[in-house]
Amino acid sequence: MSKHNMSDTVTWLKSAPGLSIVISIVVAVAATIDAGPYLLVNMVVTGGMLALVATGLTLMLGVLNIPMFAHGEYFMIGSLTAYYIFTPISEFILEHPDSWLVTFGPFIAILGALIGGAIAGVISEKLVFGPLRRRSTDNWVMNSFLLTVGVSVLLVNLHQLIFGADFKGIVGYWQGMPISIAGAYISLDRALAFIISAVIVALFYLFMTYTRTGMAIRAVSQDITGAEIVGIDIEKIVMLTISLACALAAVAGGSLLFMYPSYPTVGLEPLYMAWFVVILSGLGNILGAVAGAFIVSLLKVITMEYVGAGWDFVVPSALIMLILIFKPSGIFGSDVRGVLDK
Amino acid sequence: MLLEVKNLNAGYGYLQILRDVSLQIDKGEYVAIVGPNGAGKSTTMKTIAGLISPMSGSVVFNGEDITGLSGSAVAKKGISFVSEEMNLFVNMTVQENLYMGAYTIKEKHLKNERLDFVFELFPRLAERRKQLAGTMSGGERKMLAIGRGMMSNPSLMLVDEPSFGLAPQLTTSVFASLDVLIKNGVTILLVEQNVTKTLAVTGRGYVLENGKVGMEGNSADLAEDSYVKKVFLGV
Amino acid sequence: MDTTTNDLNMNLFDRVLDKLCLTPIGLAGLILLLLLPFIPPFNQEYMLRWLIYCGFVAAMSVGFDFTAGYINIVNFGYMAVAGTGGYTSALLVINAGLSPWIAMLAGGVSSAVLGLIIGMISLRLRGIFAACLSWFFGLAVMGLATKMVWLTRGPMGLRTPRLFETESNFPFYFLIIILVYLIYLICKWVVRSKMGLAFQAIAQNMDAARTSGINPVFYRVFNFTMSCAIAGVLGGFYAHFYGILTPDMMHTSKTVEILAVAYIGGRGSLWGGAVVAFPFIFLMEIVRSTLSHLPGLNLVIYALVLILVMIYYPGGFSYFYDTHIRQPKNRALRYFLNGREAKA
Repeated sequence: MSKHNMSDTVTWLKSAPGLSIVISIVVAVAATIDAGPYLLVNMVVTGGMLALVATGLTLMLGVLNIPMFAHGEYFMIGSLTAYYIFTPISEFILEHPDSWLVTFGPFIAILGALIGGAIAGVISEKLVFGPLRRRSTDNWVMNSFLLTVGVSVLLVNLHQLIFGADFKGIVGYWQGMPISIAGAYISLDRALAFIISAVIVALFYLFMTYTRTGMAIRAVSQDITGAEIVGIDIEKIVMLTISLACALAAVAGGSLLFMYPSYPTVGLEPLYMAWFVVILSGLGNILGAVAGAFIVSLLKVITMEYVGAGWDFVVPSALIMLILIFKPSGIFGSDVRGVLDK
Repeated sequence: MLLEVKNLNAGYGYLQILRDVSLQIDKGEYVAIVGPNGAGKSTTMKTIAGLISPMSGSVVFNGEDITGLSGSAVAKKGISFVSEEMNLFVNMTVQENLYMGAYTIKEKHLKNERLDFVFELFPRLAERRKQLAGTMSGGERKMLAIGRGMMSNPSLMLVDEPSFGLAPQLTTSVFASLDVLIKNGVTILLVEQNVTKTLAVTGRGYVLENGKVGMEGNSADLAEDSYVKKVFLGV
Repeated sequence: MDTTTNDLNMNLFDRVLDKLCLTPIGLAGLILLLLLPFIPPFNQEYMLRWLIYCGFVAAMSVGFDFTAGYINIVNFGYMAVAGTGGYTSALLVINAGLSPWIAMLAGGVSSAVLGLIIGMISLRLRGIFAACLSWFFGLAVMGLATKMVWLTRGPMGLRTPRLFETESNFPFYFLIIILVYLIYLICKWVVRSKMGLAFQAIAQNMDAARTSGINPVFYRVFNFTMSCAIAGVLGGFYAHFYGILTPDMMHTSKTVEILAVAYIGGRGSLWGGAVVAFPFIFLMEIVRSTLSHLPGLNLVIYALVLILVMIYYPGGFSYFYDTHIRQPKNRALRYFLNGREAKA
C-alpha cells in the first residue's frame, strides 16, 4: 500500500503540476534566502489576494462560460466600498481610541466590501448578463466577453465621474506592532489580509466540495442540462455564482485597501494577473487556481526584486506565453478545456 | 390518470416537430413510444420534461398543469428524465452523481435510503462509488443515468433510448433493471429504437410518425399489427 | 433575369465602382468626407484634429474587423501592435534619419513580423485563448516600451517629426481618409477572393475546414499578419501626426475603443466600423470637450452603447442597415444604396 502511494507521489512529481509546484517552492526558498524574508511575505500576501480574484474568475468561466474582463472592476468596487465605510470609522477611532471599533472596524469595512461586491454582481446579472442570456446564446463566449469589456469601461468611468480619479486610500487598518516571524517583520494589516484570504478560500473550497448548493454549482458547470433534469434551479445558481465570484474579488479589494488605494483603474493589475493564473492553471479548476495564484505572485515578486519594478508586466506574460505554446490547456490541465472551444 | 398530454405542438425555434400529440398514462403503467428516426420521440420526452417549451397544447401531471414549466420545476413535481445523452456530471464520482439525482430531497436519511435502493439494484455502481463518472464505460454510464433518475423517488420516469450504443448483453441488463422498477411501482414512459424488444416488455404503446401519433394500443396487439410489422420490423 | 445580360447592362461607371468595392452611397460618403474640411464648422483646426482621430479609429477598426469578423479571433493587443509600428517608425526617423514616409512602411513591416509571431503562437489556441495571448503580448510590448527608457524615453514620450512640415492639419486629414479607403479596399479585395471563403470556413469550424482541404495555418497566419501590418502603418501615421509618442497609446483601453467601434459598426462587414467611427467618435470628442468638468462621461456613454448593442443588436449597424434600409421599394434609391446588382 505504502509502496503504491510512493510511486503515485513520484508520478505526480514528474507531472506538470508537480514539477511546477516543486520548482516554485525551490525558487521561493532560494530567493528568500538570497533577498530576505520580506520577499516571501510579499509573495504570500499578493498570492492570497490573487487567489481570491482568480477563483472568482474561474467560477465565472467554469459555471457561466463568461470570460470576465470586468473582474478587476469588482475588486475596485470592493476597495471603494471599504474606503467609504472605513473613513468614518477611522475618524471615530481617533476620537475614541478605546472603542471596540479599533479591532473590529476594519472587519466591518471588509465585510462591507464583500456585500458590496455581491450586490454589484447581482445588479450586473440582472441588467447585463441575464438579458443577453434570454436574448440569445449564439456565440455566447465571445459576446459575453465583449459585454464584460463594456461593463469594465462603464464601471471605471463611472468611478471617475462620481468619485474622481484621485487615490482613495488609507494608512492602515490596524495599528499596533508588526509581528515578527523568523526575523521578518510583518505588519498586522498584511498578516490579517493574508489570513482573511486564506480563510475565505478554504471556506469557499469546503462550500464547493461538501454543501448541497456548492455541489449544485459544480453540477451546473459540468452539465447544465443534467443539472436541470435533477431539479436544480439554473437561474438561482447563476445568480448565486455571479454574486459569489464578484464578492470574492471585492473582498480582495477591501482587505488590500492599505496596499492598493482605490482609483478608477486599480482593477487592471489584479485582472490581468488573475487571467495569468487562470490560463496558467487551466480553466475551471479551483485548487489549480489557488496554486497558480501563488506561482504568479512569486513570478511577480521575483521580477520586481531582480529585474526591477515595471518589468512585472513583461516577464510573467512572456513566461505564460511560453506555457501556452507548449501546454495550451495550462499546467494543471483540465477536462473542462472544451468549455471555451465552443 | 398520472400524465395526460393533450394536442402538444412543439419544436426548436421555428421548426415544428410535434403536431397535436396526445397521450395518457395511468399510474403503474409501462408505456412505450416507438417510431422511426426523426419522428419526434425525443422531442416529446424533452417537452414533457420541461427542456423545450411547447408552442401549444397542455401537459397535466397528477391533475396539475405543468405546461411550460422549466426542467427543474418539472423535476420537483416528481418526473425524472433519463436523457439519451445521459447528461452525467463527468467530474463527479458515482456517489456524488447519485446524490445530485436526489437534489430535490432535502432529508439526508431519505437520500441514503434511495442510495441503498439504487446500489441494491445496480451492485456494479456500489463497487464503483468512488470512480469519476467520466471514466466509466458506456454501459455503466447508462446504469448510472438510470440510477440517478431513480434517486428522486419519481412517480414517473421518462427513459429515452436506454439501449442506444450498448452491446446486446448490456441492453438486456438495462431492460431487466427497468423491469425491477416497474415491479417497485414506478411508472415508466420508454422511448426505444429497438421495437421488438420494447413491445415485448411494455404494456401499451404509441406509434409516432412525422410528429403525429399514428397508432396506439396494447403492445402485444401493436407487435402483431401488419402495418407496424411492415414498417418497423421489416417483415 | 439572365445574369449575363445583366452584366452587359452594367456600364463602365458601375463596373469601376464594383471593382472599387463601393456602392453609389459609399462613393457619395467618401466624397462628403473629402469635402468636409471645406464646410464650416469643420474647417477649424481643432475640429479637423478630431476628424483625423475619427479617421484613425475608422481605419483601425477596419483592420481589426478583418481578423475579428473573418477568422473570429479578437486581437486584444491591437493597439500595442500599432504602437510597435509607431515606435519603429519614430525611432527610424530619429536615429537613422529616414523619411517618415518610408519609416511608416517600415513600421508596418515590424508590426507584420509581430503579427506573424503572434499568429504562429496562437495557432493552436482558439477563441478566448487566442484573445488572451494577444492581450498578454500587448501588455508585454507596452511594458517594454515603458521600461526601455534608453530607447523610447519611457513615459516621457518620444518627440517625432511630423509627416508634413506644416502646422495645418489639412494634409493629414486627406491622408487618413485615403488610408481608410485604401485599407478598406485591400481588405475587401482579399475577402472577396477565394481567401474570404477559406476565412469563413476556418472561423466556423477549424477541423472541418482542415478536412475539406483548407490549410488553416496559412490562412490564419496570413490574416493575422496582414491585419497587424495595417495596424503598424496606422501606428506610424499616429506617431507622425501627433508628434509625440507615449506607451499609453498601447493601453488595453485604447484597443477597447477600436473594438467597440468595430462591433457597434457590425462585425464581418469591414465598412460598418469605418462608417460608425466618424459620427460616433466625433460626438464623443464633443462630449469630452464641452463637458470637461465631467471627466469620463464620454466613455460611460461609449460603454453603454457597446453594452446595449451587444445585448440587443449583436449584428451592429451593418446588420441593421442590411435588414432595414438596404432594400427600399424605390428603384432609384435602391440603385443608390446597392449599386448595379450582379443578379436580380
